[in-house]
Amino acid sequence: MDRELRILLTEAPVPDERDAELRAWNVVRAAFEEREPESPSRRLPLRPLVVLAAAAALVAAALSPAGRDALDSIRARVSGDDEPPVALTRLPAAGPLLVVSESGPWVVRTDGSKRLLGDYDDASWSPRGRFVVATGGQRLTAVEPDGDPRWQLTRPETLADARWSPFPGFRIAYRAEDSLRIVDGNGTDDSLLARGVASVAPAWRTRPEGEYVLAFADRRGVVRVADVEALRELWQVTVRGRIDGLTWSGDGRQLLVVTRRSLSVYAEPGRLVRSIALPSGTHTTAAAFRPGTGEIAYAVMSEAGEVSRVLLATSPRGGSRPVFNGRGPLTDLVWSPNGRWLLIGWPDADQWVFLRQPGVRRIVSVESVRREFDPGGTGAGSFPRVTGWCCVP
Amino acid sequence: MANPGRDERAWVRGAQSGSVADLEALFRDHWPRAYRAAYLVVHDQTAAEDIAQEAFLAAVRALDRFDRRRPFGPWLHRIVVNRAIDWARARALRAEVGDQRALDAASAPPGVENTRELPAEIVQALASLSPEHRAVIVLRYLMDYTPGEIGELLDLPRGTVNSRLRRGLDALAGRIPAEEL
Repeated sequence: MDRELRILLTEAPVPDERDAELRAWNVVRAAFEEREPESPSRRLPLRPLVVLAAAAALVAAALSPAGRDALDSIRARVSGDDEPPVALTRLPAAGPLLVVSESGPWVVRTDGSKRLLGDYDDASWSPRGRFVVATGGQRLTAVEPDGDPRWQLTRPETLADARWSPFPGFRIAYRAEDSLRIVDGNGTDDSLLARGVASVAPAWRTRPEGEYVLAFADRRGVVRVADVEALRELWQVTVRGRIDGLTWSGDGRQLLVVTRRSLSVYAEPGRLVRSIALPSGTHTTAAAFRPGTGEIAYAVMSEAGEVSRVLLATSPRGGSRPVFNGRGPLTDLVWSPNGRWLLIGWPDADQWVFLRQPGVRRIVSVESVRREFDPGGTGAGSFPRVTGWCCVP
Repeated sequence: MANPGRDERAWVRGAQSGSVADLEALFRDHWPRAYRAAYLVVHDQTAAEDIAQEAFLAAVRALDRFDRRRPFGPWLHRIVVNRAIDWARARALRAEVGDQRALDAASAPPGVENTRELPAEIVQALASLSPEHRAVIVLRYLMDYTPGEIGELLDLPRGTVNSRLRRGLDALAGRIPAEEL
């Protein structure tokens, strides 16, 4: 049968084969003739840089006077190392991305190949990237990175914000509307941890391994840190303003609490160890610890929403330095697993921008991001969210 | 005797230097199987054309960075088949919210118009499989990749590839008309 099948698939005519070839060749040839080959000695005019420059005046108006000098120097440094936007044919660092678009979550591998996982609203990685935990409606599903579901849990509530615990990954925390629940990594022993939680993703403490400590926010603005195994609260801290995000440092010693107006870092037992001052007239849109360091990248946007800036807070006493400016919001800040690249989502430019750290040694931009994640569509939908850049399995 | 690998490397090198003729040679050599592979996975000729064309456009955009020591075909086929799987999945998801025609194109046997050229039995048998199973069958029996190579192209363990091949062949068994052989 192998031979017969091979003959059929290879030789049987398929519809429109010849006309499709003619049409496609015209398109491919036109693209080829319009392309400008790369040369190490030549730098092309840069769309991101143009936008950067255009945005600079607005940023300067929106940000503090002290920021203007820094902005000029950064722009100058960026200009020698920027690269023209490219299609999504590779990632600058190893490890797959997890991206959520209107079609669902996608795994993007280092070579740029993608896989749509299925009909889910949100997703996050397991600790070694062997699975993805996804939520959609009343379902929570553990999915293999090729999209095969491993197990599924269904509840009466709408499920969201599922997060897999760090290695060895025996627990998953998720929200069932305003309840926080824990389920084992194999889909068994689903149980209630807390009620009255806020619409914020819980955050597992990253270290030490084998401990299951979870930070979450309740609706009264209290951040709680609990030992999930012992069902015991370890510490808590009350925060002013609505909590937008919780993130642990790589060593598990510091917890970053993000609100619209503040970035505060706490350590056990609820001690404020760092408070990052935002540029005047701005609010936060994203923040992330850099792996292996205490550095924090964060994005702020002018109140009018015209321009945004990404800054890097390098040390508790060292202040912050700007690393990128762009028109409109900057939606995601995701570090590569090795901490050398920072991915920035830039919806107004329909781009992902990858910044090489330390300093801004290179900028790699990926264009037409919406269309990349809208197969068969027009790419007119919302900008895809990057929810994780995983470990190298 | 011609050496296809050497030809291909020469075409890639020529295209990298700006030769339209070399790019065309590369395109003509790879288009038929790229389009056929996409069609066999998505069962929609317009989508297949888009998918294969997009894969070649991606190749053009990445041409300057392409490593000439590596074969061009697997790189292109990986893009084509993965995009085809994604397209089929996306269409099926959209169909869940009311687009019955999309569902038909994504997962059910195509209509009379599409069965005119490829035997209806084989098209229906393939359409009864999921896009992932179709892709494995296409890579094995159209593209001639080994299960190990398919695993690398689709980022799957070899065991998963083999089980998908088995299941695919089981579904196809007895549905290949003898008169077509």
